[in-house]
Amino acid sequence: MAKLTIDGKEIEVPDGTRLFDACREARGGRDLPHFCYHPDLSIAGVCRLCQVEIEGMPKLTIACNTIVRDGMVVHTTSKRVNQAVTQVLEMHLINHPVDCPICDQAGECGLQDQYMDYGLYESEVEKTDKVLKKKAKVIGPHVILDQERCVLCARCTRFCEEVTGTGELGIYNRGDRAEIDVAPGVELDNNYSLNTVDICPVGALTSRDFRFQKRVWLLKSTSSVCNGCATGCNVRVDHEGGRIYRLKPRRNDEVNGPWMCDKGRMTYKDVHREDRLDRVLVRREGELQPISWAEGRQELLGAVKPGGVGYVLADPGRSLEELVLIQRLATELVGEEPMAGGVSDDGHDEGDDLLLSADRRPNRKALAWLDFAEKPAEALAGELSGASGVLLVFGGDPLAHQALADAASRMRVVYLGTHRTATAEAADVVVPLSMWAEKDALWVNKQGRIQRGQRAVLPPGDAREDWRVLVDLLQSIGHDPEVAGLPALRRLVAARLELEDENLLNRLPEGGYAPPRLADAPTGGR
Amino acid sequence: MLAIVLEATAKIGFMFALIMGLVPVLIWAERKGSAFIQDRTGPNRAGVLGIRLAGLIHPIADVIKLLAKEDVVPAMRHKFLYALAPMLVMIVAMSTYAVIPFGDYIMIGGEKIELIVADLEVGMLFVLAIASLGTYGVALGGWASNSKYTFLGSLRATASMISYEITMGLAIMGLFLIFGTFRLTDIVAGQGDLIWGWLPKWGIIVQPLGFLLFIASVYAETNRTPFDMSERDSEIVAGYHTEYSSLKFALFFMAEYAHMVVAAALIAVLFFGGYQIPWLPRPVLEANAGAMLTGGLIAGGIVLGIIAWAFFRRARREKGWYNDAREREPGFLGSVCVVLALVNLGALGLQPWAISELGASLYATFAQIGAFVIKVAFFSWLFIWVRWTVPSFRYDQVMRLGWQIMLPAGLVNLLVTALWVFAVHQP
Amino acid sequence: MSYKGLPDVVTTRRRNLLESAYFTEIARGLAVTGRHLIRNLFNTDKMPTVQYPDQKRDYGPRFRGRHRLTQREDGSPRCVACMMCSTVCPADCIEIIAGEHPDPTIEKYSKEFNIDLLRCVYCGLCEEACPCDAIRMDTGIYEIAAETREAFVVNKDFLLNNDKDGTL
Repeated sequence: MAKLTIDGKEIEVPDGTRLFDACREARGGRDLPHFCYHPDLSIAGVCRLCQVEIEGMPKLTIACNTIVRDGMVVHTTSKRVNQAVTQVLEMHLINHPVDCPICDQAGECGLQDQYMDYGLYESEVEKTDKVLKKKAKVIGPHVILDQERCVLCARCTRFCEEVTGTGELGIYNRGDRAEIDVAPGVELDNNYSLNTVDICPVGALTSRDFRFQKRVWLLKSTSSVCNGCATGCNVRVDHEGGRIYRLKPRRNDEVNGPWMCDKGRMTYKDVHREDRLDRVLVRREGELQPISWAEGRQELLGAVKPGGVGYVLADPGRSLEELVLIQRLATELVGEEPMAGGVSDDGHDEGDDLLLSADRRPNRKALAWLDFAEKPAEALAGELSGASGVLLVFGGDPLAHQALADAASRMRVVYLGTHRTATAEAADVVVPLSMWAEKDALWVNKQGRIQRGQRAVLPPGDAREDWRVLVDLLQSIGHDPEVAGLPALRRLVAARLELEDENLLNRLPEGGYAPPRLADAPTGGR
Repeated sequence: MLAIVLEATAKIGFMFALIMGLVPVLIWAERKGSAFIQDRTGPNRAGVLGIRLAGLIHPIADVIKLLAKEDVVPAMRHKFLYALAPMLVMIVAMSTYAVIPFGDYIMIGGEKIELIVADLEVGMLFVLAIASLGTYGVALGGWASNSKYTFLGSLRATASMISYEITMGLAIMGLFLIFGTFRLTDIVAGQGDLIWGWLPKWGIIVQPLGFLLFIASVYAETNRTPFDMSERDSEIVAGYHTEYSSLKFALFFMAEYAHMVVAAALIAVLFFGGYQIPWLPRPVLEANAGAMLTGGLIAGGIVLGIIAWAFFRRARREKGWYNDAREREPGFLGSVCVVLALVNLGALGLQPWAISELGASLYATFAQIGAFVIKVAFFSWLFIWVRWTVPSFRYDQVMRLGWQIMLPAGLVNLLVTALWVFAVHQP
Repeated sequence: MSYKGLPDVVTTRRRNLLESAYFTEIARGLAVTGRHLIRNLFNTDKMPTVQYPDQKRDYGPRFRGRHRLTQREDGSPRCVACMMCSTVCPADCIEIIAGEHPDPTIEKYSKEFNIDLLRCVYCGLCEEACPCDAIRMDTGIYEIAAETREAFVVNKDFLLNNDKDGTL
């Protein structure tokens, strides 16, 4: 342990700690000004903003590249330090175009923040004297580059070298003509390219998808969990006026660190896709016709009766609470056998060894926990051809498999889903459900970690919270689970999973919780 | 028989014309007067071919508007009473005029016709009785509308009317003692006398406290400021007639002004000598008819000439203000005044100084009717003037004033008068 | 501290008998209102009322009238869709949809720029906030009328060609 004094405050930190981190601790969580330092990247020491005064040393020293020593006396707010920071900042801004009005970074920009804290000087550089560089250069499918705004902190080049190992970006030229760029013929097209946008402290790298869509200060943030694959990256949903504009990673060192993949970031588009279901549809004269919720509810309750239902099909895209309720409903309706947790052939794609998982369903682990087995399409087709009555499908798109569609053609299909899929087209009653960003739900990632996603926006049209529909169904067949709200529902789930504390799921820690009892349960799927 | 019917019809027609003629003029005076008092210009837009008459066209436009408007009625009203209430108010306002003498008499074909519709022995009691019925209209209207505001309005109206009717009766009791009659014609005739040979024996002279009590209580009876509790906008929207619209509202609205006219006529009749012109009793008028008529015609001609000159000056000044028909108005009115002045002066050619005896009698009659109309008009204007001068009393203040101050004052006044009359007419 | 020599505490005087009898005070009040009446009756021209449609008051150069969008020298709108105005707008009446400008030196421009004139409170904060001097309220137009609510939502073309007598 090293004992040191920072701004007159004595603290004790482990040996080997960076002075930058020690200063943050001593300053009550307030970072030193910085552009290039990033806890998950190597130290570059190029921005020179985190300079501090260490007694006994003749010159100011950058805190990020200094390891604490016992007995250090450090000043971070002395006049000398402030003056140095102001001057360094002025140098960073010499060639900065100050086009904040059209810059998407405005509002979450390091330069703006630092200028408000340490700058506030009158600029001595005429706008006409600035070195002009390339603006709005498309360097990849997701990223657009503005070289004028760049402060050469080299976070993005370090990311490409150290995290993805692809090395597309580099710093070219010298002096005030130095610029970030890709080599000719190279594109920044790895699956993690948008992380460079996140770590860029200024508006040099911006997202093409989010470009000019919304000013960031108007966005509201809700924490949630990515539904793109089984990894379950923690995300921040940025939304405004009932519309999601972007997903940003939320640091969870147990799951995704500070990163997330581009594929995951684009999953929000499914929420606002045009083929979202927002009304109850009923097949009349061969056509699916929209009807009111009240009528639709009667239609649904009329179809879902014990004895009338021949088979129940769930999907690993449903949340943990829903799967528990679906399983319970299926048991009451059809007994033990004629049900499946989903089609095991679906939801698999190529993964990588960083974050993206080959399993593209967010909740397959939960099916395994519940012994709610998935079945291959062929086996399912066989079982379905032996069944009759109503086929009750919760989410997914099982009837996209021709064999299953053929097998189900004799049955009355009741589909509760989110999009107008092949299954919806083949169904007789279609009930809209809400998607992951539209409900407060629990997800079990491939590590067996239960994570909570909160509701960011409201579901479209007549769609409502899915668990309420399921509880309504259970009540109508005379098996009231007696859940009035989310806390009761989570207690029900905890009891089903035989967790040690029935309220555990109601007070999940920030980073989620992996029940040790279930750690060895087999992974679902193939 | 036919003569009696004709006579009654003519007299009723005159009173009706007087009231219904004064109502729009009073509405106009209320608006224009309040505007001038508050340094505004008031209504000046509605006009026919640019002739606006300083806003006098507005009441006509209002009547057309109210006639054409949709009659919005509350769904849960009491249908019969809701329709009855405005009629009742209007009928009561109109009935009172039957006993008010508007002139002395007129000689037609050697017949002497009294200028009063019904010369009742109990004239003033009839007035008080009919005025009490007015409360029914207000109370029923407020109750039948089935609205809380109207209900509060009618409650207040009932309370104030009951409180002030007592004072009103007491206030004029002294007058009856002095003149020894309820008959209004006799009271007016009695006021033609002079006290000590120079002071007119008007009600206000012999009953000053009675006059103050009476005028205050008729203001309360007509629901005018400062006693306008039943329709106070800032508290209960529009009071008892909140839920009325179209012609039913118009009836309430006109009845308010008709009430004002009857109250003004009562003040004039009881306290200001009615049709009597002070120091000019009828014989004097008849004797000097020729000279007065001549002087009047000349004076009228001169005044009209001055008005015409003012109009022409205004026409010159307003040139180029509007660039439409409105610019021709002052010139047109000035020309009308010139024509009237010429008619006035031309009438001198008929030798008015050599008027016949019948003519002199007619002249005296019309002079007295004119005096009556002028007095009524002034007291009607006083209602308006007071409304735009005095702030309203609070509900409790109205009640305290009525019961604790005016009622005892009325009793004292009655007692003193009775003692004085007893002393003077000691048998 | 007294303000402009006025006393801090106002003491009320008890009414004397004459005053509390009302009638003399009412007479004095009638005299006051009567004086106004007579004065105005003979000086109708000197009344402060502005005969509005016929006469109009001159407003100062700082008067905030209906908005307009300014143009660059080449006639293109100056607005870069930075949303400062719509952010600062207390009535939330400005709706901007940004787009990619073909000229990379301009980069961003407003594809749509709608102002709901019924919502606008004419506070002028949008003028203050604009970094490009793109929105101004110097037209001096304050007579704004239309037959439908929709007509009060004016678009970019309207705001760019907002001449003095333009009606909605």
